[in-house]
Amino acid sequence: MTAPASTERARALLAKIHALPLTREVRVMNVCGGHERSISMAGLRAVLPSQITLIPGPGCPVCVCPEEDIFAAIDLSQRPEITLVTFGDMLRVPANVPKGTPRSLEAARAAGGDVRPVASPAEAVRIARQEPDREVVFFAAGFETTTAPVAAMIAEGVPTNLTLLLSGRLTWPAVTMLLNSEAAGFDALIAPGHVATIMGPEEWDFVARDHALPCAIAGFEAESLLAGLLSVLEQGLEGEARVDNCYGGVVRPEGNPTARRLLGETLNVVDAPWRGIGTIQRSGFALAPAHAGLDALSRHSIDRSQLRKRAGEMPPGCDCARVVLGRIAPDQCRLYGAACTPRSPIGPCMVSDEGACRIWWSSGIRERRGDVVDA
Amino acid sequence: MIDTPRITLAQGNGGRLTKELIDTVFLRHFGQPEDHDGLDAAALPLSPDLETVVTTDGFSVEPLEFPGGDIGSLAVHGTVNDLAVCGATPLFLTLGVMIEEGLPLDQLNRIVESLAIAAHRAGVRIVAGDTKVLPIGHGGGLYLTTTGIGQRPPSVRMGMGQIESGDVILVSGPVGDHGISVMLAREAFELSGSVRSDSGSVAPLCLPIADFDGVRFLRDPTRGGLATVAHEIAQGCGLDLILSEADIPVRDAVRSVCEILGYDPYYLACEGRVVAAVAPQIAEQVLTFWQSLPEGAGAARIGIVGDAGKARDRQVGGKVCLITALGGQRVLDPLEDDPLPRIC
Ligand code: SF4
Repeated sequence: MTAPASTERARALLAKIHALPLTREVRVMNVCGGHERSISMAGLRAVLPSQITLIPGPGCPVCVCPEEDIFAAIDLSQRPEITLVTFGDMLRVPANVPKGTPRSLEAARAAGGDVRPVASPAEAVRIARQEPDREVVFFAAGFETTTAPVAAMIAEGVPTNLTLLLSGRLTWPAVTMLLNSEAAGFDALIAPGHVATIMGPEEWDFVARDHALPCAIAGFEAESLLAGLLSVLEQGLEGEARVDNCYGGVVRPEGNPTARRLLGETLNVVDAPWRGIGTIQRSGFALAPAHAGLDALSRHSIDRSQLRKRAGEMPPGCDCARVVLGRIAPDQCRLYGAACTPRSPIGPCMVSDEGACRIWWSSGIRERRGDVVDA
Repeated sequence: MIDTPRITLAQGNGGRLTKELIDTVFLRHFGQPEDHDGLDAAALPLSPDLETVVTTDGFSVEPLEFPGGDIGSLAVHGTVNDLAVCGATPLFLTLGVMIEEGLPLDQLNRIVESLAIAAHRAGVRIVAGDTKVLPIGHGGGLYLTTTGIGQRPPSVRMGMGQIESGDVILVSGPVGDHGISVMLAREAFELSGSVRSDSGSVAPLCLPIADFDGVRFLRDPTRGGLATVAHEIAQGCGLDLILSEADIPVRDAVRSVCEILGYDPYYLACEGRVVAAVAPQIAEQVLTFWQSLPEGAGAARIGIVGDAGKARDRQVGGKVCLITALGGQRVLDPLEDDPLPRIC
């Protein structure tokens, strides 16, 4: 077995990047846990020219999933009639709970709750069909890519014993928020390929048009990422700013019209909270009024307004919010590798496979880096 | 619609129905024991000149059948392979069966037949067994436990402690086939794939080389995959392992599923591969031998042991470094949680 052809092409792209006359530092942000994973797993940072800094950005849906939603999910899971199903990554994410109550869905399961990981909405529907006597709540956190299948599920019609705790988020509004802040912290953007597959590459036009930053849409493979990187670096050198589609085989203009139609028909876009970050305008999906009956919180009369200390926030001491925004690197958090490791995670970024802290740790970065300085 | 016959609780009550189940399903495929004579245990003809090796393993897999194998063949190969990597010729198996009430009889028959075929091919005899039926909801359809007994010449002296700096790491074929095959059979990922499990006996790969001078250590990667075995070796011998990503065989189909779902192929289960640490002088010889067998057609040299100038560290143990295809470096840790599909 020889190295796949894509490896050869990736090597060629790397050589091209090295041949660029880079003089200044270029900070390139990615907006996708999958990108960060591929970058770390390929060891890209070490083989790129030293002027290039790759910054993991808001690419982890689990990390920004509102703390109050996790709290509500834990609460629901403790009711004897409810089976709570969710993507596996959500199980270990901690919420800020009063002493003596389960702090994660995993703990809720250990405390007797019926909590089950699922890999897709189809599995949630299957469980609800197979167990018609149970009230199944599907806690669906995710970005556009995961929310689209949820929309398709709603459009198809779900069993009456299935309701939704929906924590769907849109990626681009978080980037807009960063770009509108005082210091965005990056000079170019690699936009998420899978999101663009569904929503269309045009969604990212604002990066170049309104903020004059080079942007490229890339897939998960090293080859596609390097093509995206080469594009934004070249744009920078030429003083240009456009959105280059480096995932051309997969990302089509307008994205996936069916998926977008289903999203539009079943869900509304609303202002939504991001954990530790606050509300970002028009960044969340909510059930459209026609489907309001699917809302797990109203079906099971969950009161959202209970006052808790640190509701909505990251766990005490955890710097995930700044990691998610690319303000600090994972290894600049005070707890990284000391109190916080994948085995005993403090924050969601160390839990999720899409979380930057977890990814950096898994790739072998074990030591904390100097003291935290705000970028 | 005619309902298919299914296993009932009564078939586990130890009475007539249990005997019928054993006769019509198990003994039908395994054959009647020759010199049984009504005894409740088997006497084994073991050679006094050889060392006797014993191992035991439990099996659960969802789904019970998947492309390239099923829980029956898995239960044979898993245990046979544990013996083989110790250099022992697998001879006898005992079989514990826990059936969940409601399992279709047809499916049980298929699985037991496949188990019998796997045992026959691996040259092991099933000499004792037990069957229980659990109430519905108390078992994932079918659980199996096999205990394997094998023998090896006393000259076989493999162990992690024998591994030395400069040794070569080999793998007998592409990694991750089993993990992906089962995952695709289990989840409705809407990915059509043609990946078959590598479930198979590794005895033909291990036994002929087990007492070679210079074969330091053999291990079959199962759950946790290549990365986990490499990590165990590094921990056990106190030296670093340096693996080269470009040299690790991974099928294109496995690689592309991994890319889509965000899995790391080095952590996916194998069920018919061997990782070897061998002295550099015999690496080529072992590799050529493996490649000459159907089980080892995809064998490759994937790395070396030891960082030049770094001493053996038995306290902390060594670590596993992967030189990536692009020349970067990362650490391979042991498996933390089961791999999950990405959700972004
Ligand atoms: S290292 Fe842990 S505590 Fe620090 S930001 Fe990451 S997840 Fe949060």
